[in-house]
Amino acid sequence: MSLALPLGLVWAGAAVTALLDGRRRCVAWLAVGVLGAGFVALCVLQAHVLVDGPRTIVAGDWPAGVGIALRADALGVVFAVLSMGVLLAGLAYEVVDDLESRHTPALVLFMGAGLTGVFLTADIFNFYVFFELTMVASYAASTYGGERHQIGAGFIFAIVNLLGTFLFLIGLAAIYTVTGTLDMDGVGFALAQSEPTAVALIGVSVLVAFSIKLGLFPFHFWLPPVYVGATPGVAAMLSGAVANVGSYGLLRFGGDLLPDLFAAGAGVLAVLGSASIVYGAIQAISRRSASEVLAYSAIGQVGYVLIALAVGGPVGYAAAILYAIVNALNKALLFLTARVRGWLVGACFAIGALSVAGVPPSAGFFGKVELFRAGIDARSAVLVALIFLGGALSFVYMFQIYQRDFWRDRHDTSGGRALQVPGVLLALVVLGLGLWPEPLLAVSREAAATLTGGQR
Amino acid sequence: MRTWAPPATVLAMAGAGFVALLWLWLTGGGEVDVPWAPTLDLRLHLRLDGLAAMYALMATGVAVPVFVFAWRYLPHHLAQQGRSVREQPRFYALLGMFMVSMVGLALAQDLILLFLFWDLTAVASYLLIAYDRQDGGARRAALMALLVTAITAVALLIGTLLLYDRYATFSLPELFRVAESSTTVTVAGALIALAALAKSAQVPFHFWLGRAMVAPTPVSAYLHSAAMVAAGVLLIGRVYPLLELSPVLLDALVVAGFASMLVGGVLALSRDDLKQVLAYSTFSQYGYVVFLYGLGGESGVGAAAFYVVTHAVAKCALFLTAGAVTRATGAQRLSELGGLARAMPVVAAGSLACAATVASLPLTVGFFADELLFKAALERGWVFAAMALLIAVLTLAYMARFWTGLFLGAPRTEAGPVPGAMVAPVGVLGAICLVAGLVPAPFAAIAQDAATPSLLAAVPVEARYYLDLRAENLLALATFALGALVHAGHRAVPAAAEAVARLGERLGPERAYTAGLAALNGLSDRVHDLEVRDFRGRVTAIFLPSGVLFALAFVLTPTVGAYAVGSFSLGDLPLVLMLGFAACVAVAATRPRGHLTMVLTLGTVGFALAVVYALLGAPNVALVAVLVETIVALLFIGVLSLIPREVLRSQMRATRERRGTRFRDPAVGLVAGATVFVLVWGGLSRTGGEGDAARRLTELAPEAHADNVVTAILADLRALDTLGEITVVAVALLGVTKLLRRGRLW
Repeated sequence: MSLALPLGLVWAGAAVTALLDGRRRCVAWLAVGVLGAGFVALCVLQAHVLVDGPRTIVAGDWPAGVGIALRADALGVVFAVLSMGVLLAGLAYEVVDDLESRHTPALVLFMGAGLTGVFLTADIFNFYVFFELTMVASYAASTYGGERHQIGAGFIFAIVNLLGTFLFLIGLAAIYTVTGTLDMDGVGFALAQSEPTAVALIGVSVLVAFSIKLGLFPFHFWLPPVYVGATPGVAAMLSGAVANVGSYGLLRFGGDLLPDLFAAGAGVLAVLGSASIVYGAIQAISRRSASEVLAYSAIGQVGYVLIALAVGGPVGYAAAILYAIVNALNKALLFLTARVRGWLVGACFAIGALSVAGVPPSAGFFGKVELFRAGIDARSAVLVALIFLGGALSFVYMFQIYQRDFWRDRHDTSGGRALQVPGVLLALVVLGLGLWPEPLLAVSREAAATLTGGQR
Repeated sequence: MRTWAPPATVLAMAGAGFVALLWLWLTGGGEVDVPWAPTLDLRLHLRLDGLAAMYALMATGVAVPVFVFAWRYLPHHLAQQGRSVREQPRFYALLGMFMVSMVGLALAQDLILLFLFWDLTAVASYLLIAYDRQDGGARRAALMALLVTAITAVALLIGTLLLYDRYATFSLPELFRVAESSTTVTVAGALIALAALAKSAQVPFHFWLGRAMVAPTPVSAYLHSAAMVAAGVLLIGRVYPLLELSPVLLDALVVAGFASMLVGGVLALSRDDLKQVLAYSTFSQYGYVVFLYGLGGESGVGAAAFYVVTHAVAKCALFLTAGAVTRATGAQRLSELGGLARAMPVVAAGSLACAATVASLPLTVGFFADELLFKAALERGWVFAAMALLIAVLTLAYMARFWTGLFLGAPRTEAGPVPGAMVAPVGVLGAICLVAGLVPAPFAAIAQDAATPSLLAAVPVEARYYLDLRAENLLALATFALGALVHAGHRAVPAAAEAVARLGERLGPERAYTAGLAALNGLSDRVHDLEVRDFRGRVTAIFLPSGVLFALAFVLTPTVGAYAVGSFSLGDLPLVLMLGFAACVAVAATRPRGHLTMVLTLGTVGFALAVVYALLGAPNVALVAVLVETIVALLFIGVLSLIPREVLRSQMRATRERRGTRFRDPAVGLVAGATVFVLVWGGLSRTGGEGDAARRLTELAPEAHADNVVTAILADLRALDTLGEITVVAVALLGVTKLLRRGRLW
């Protein structure tokens, strides 16, 4: 099976649905179906990649280095599968909840196409194009609902992130000037021989661009209004799918293309990550609504990814990847259950809360295990203490809001049973990966091996 | 669903589990060991050794009377609060979940698996404490229990991972084989012991247990007497071979255990609420066990195991007594109760046996527990024996206060009828205490077996009456005499205890917890108020940290030779002049003089740059730039014409008058400008590999059926990018129609 299939499928589906009225049930479900098909195709691709190793194709059959290369390796496909799965859940939620905007299904499909492209390309400028596609679709989708505050939040989202994208573009131009190539392999090779100043400046522009995307402190100021204002499905997609671009970008550009620089700048990464963990957690503690808590929690949780990146090596990268996966699942689950009521949803939210706090049996527990292992691997008591502190604070904010939202007011099931399904399915995934963590651990280790040259 | 189905199910589970475990234990135990997650060397390794058997039998055995009790208790409890019987299944499901995780915890031989069950018990306990979730006190108590036990549990995880880092295994038998005395093992052991102490509600984590008493009585009787708090000492017993490697850890356990015994005993003397008395008694009793583990040696560990099992039986019955008494009278304070012996003879008799067991009176199984305690203490020295004596006296005093306060003296309240199912468990458990007081062999056998995995060797635990004047017996006699004395002077003693308890409330760890939580929430509010909320702030907040990062990169790397100044010839003069012009206009654009002026100035910068492109020999880029600038300027002006003039004017004035931004905005602009300048200069200083790639592309143009390289790149070589960009424009258009025309395309 070609690795272009999932990309082409979702892209074509997006183009078709853009012309149709997405408020109609059949169109909306068609979009869900296309995403589902893309998801299945990516899963098959992932199985192939894990068994047979990475696959590469060059668009138009040009020689490598001239045409645009698409490559599916263990790192890319895992993020692609994850993001597509979250988009699927988010879109299904919105469709069940009755779409009010005719473009939402198409925009989500465009997001899906963009994300697939981002994770499957081996060309830095092509990465930028798909990145932009994802972001433009996200800007448009974030205003879904059409309320005044949502449009305002969407505006800030667009402006701040355009700034980040622009900085990234400057960085890419610099890479091209320095290395003379756009192919990731060639770039990595050439950068290893380049002067340190140039590499450092490029590295900073990439770091800032993806930090903005991730919503890392102190680049996060756009994030709370957007996540709070967005409808649950869209918030789940932004935090569980689109934000993955940030983690993936840092792993790909930092771990793969600029490994020496990231090793040298580990201190900076650790400081940024730590600040984010503490800041996000402190902010989240006394917020009054679940979506606000989750927004600030998202800021804190990405800090862990950065810390793991700072540790680096097989253990650090595996921890970063695993935590990014777990965090995406948690956030998607929590956003999708935050505004529905009923005992089943309450239980699902509790599972998500436990996962954020790192309590077994949830996927989040193994995220914590890997993080602590990374901290111990780095022989850093400070990092271990910090992860412990962040975890302790996450207990406080997650369970304060859980009790406030699900125990205090006792209104019954709202929004119907179908609306609960996406959240329940995600909760089962989180729980299942907590009970049988082997896939999670093996996939993240395999993906990390692509960054360390096969070292495990 | 029928209302009897859920309790019957868990009761059957408990009964069947007990019988199965007992049978397995008697036939020599069992073991399951299968891979779980090979990537992380995790194994599902469960083994029914002596220690596991004792705790698993306790978890299932104590569950039977508690579930029988709950069957009659819960409907009444729910009816009192006006709640539906449909809330019953949740209660039993959580109890069942707890029981299963407790059994799993007892059996687990893999540290990660153990941690999983460890946290599951904490989660079940959290949800059970908050079973009456409409009650604010219950919610706060549940949160407190969760935060204390689950956050400290992370210490266990860290300890586990430290050991894994050193020895590359999570398997306990494997660890016992390879671990040797070292700093890593000491630190890991300390972390594990910390988690265990918090779970067993030892000083200074004891406060959560007192609060947890808001839970329904069966929960207190089961989780907070026999099972959950026992998990802590179970863990200590389980990892004892590791703890033994560091004498300092054992000494710490002695201190923690003694402090807990003392504080628990004093608080139990001072409380008025029945369940509170029992809660602090529990915490004091687990102090005994920790103390015994700290004393160590064969007698210490054996005595610890014996203590746990006698305490579980007796304390459970006492909690059920409290439940039955409250059900009969509606009162739950010692000061409101008294003289119930006549009205509730079975409960009185059963609880007498159990109270005597806790107080270690002869003819009950508790007597041997204290004998073993004294023996272990004496082996270590007289100081320890004195400590043990002090605590035994306290225990006797508060147990006497509890039982006599309930059942003797003048009746103070009417006692209504209590269902037989709520009375019988107390009677049965009391009878067990008495029978075992005469025939202690089964208890001794199970304790002996339970001590074996901790010591990695079989050690005899002897429970016999010695009718001679050995030191243990003398200490026991001293206990009875002093205990009677303290009880006789009961007016003064509780008052003193009360004073100590007050002091603890004012300065104790619970205060620290509450204040800490409030401080965190307050801090959170303050930080939230500080966060920038306006649009300009959100944008500028990106520039400053980025500028700092760029500056860091610039400063920390060698810059010699990285920034080249190119050659300059007279022919470049127009270019330089044009660039200078563009720069001047750009600076002028930062002076706000009205929106229209600003747009035009910005446009001028663009046109000046277009001229630069033209001078550089890129007419096509220049044309595109002119086109873009024209369109943008027109668009801007069009938008401005849609906004009322007053709004524009007031905005302008506001911007000019805002004080904070007078220095901030230029500073931010300078940082951003300098950053981009450095970045671009750095980039332009090296033009290495570009030529090669460009030549290659030019050569390929004919093959792409294009007459120039730009067409070839856009339409063929990098057509995927072009398609992507077209899609981006289309999506942007979708977004615009969404905002302008509510999504209508035509």
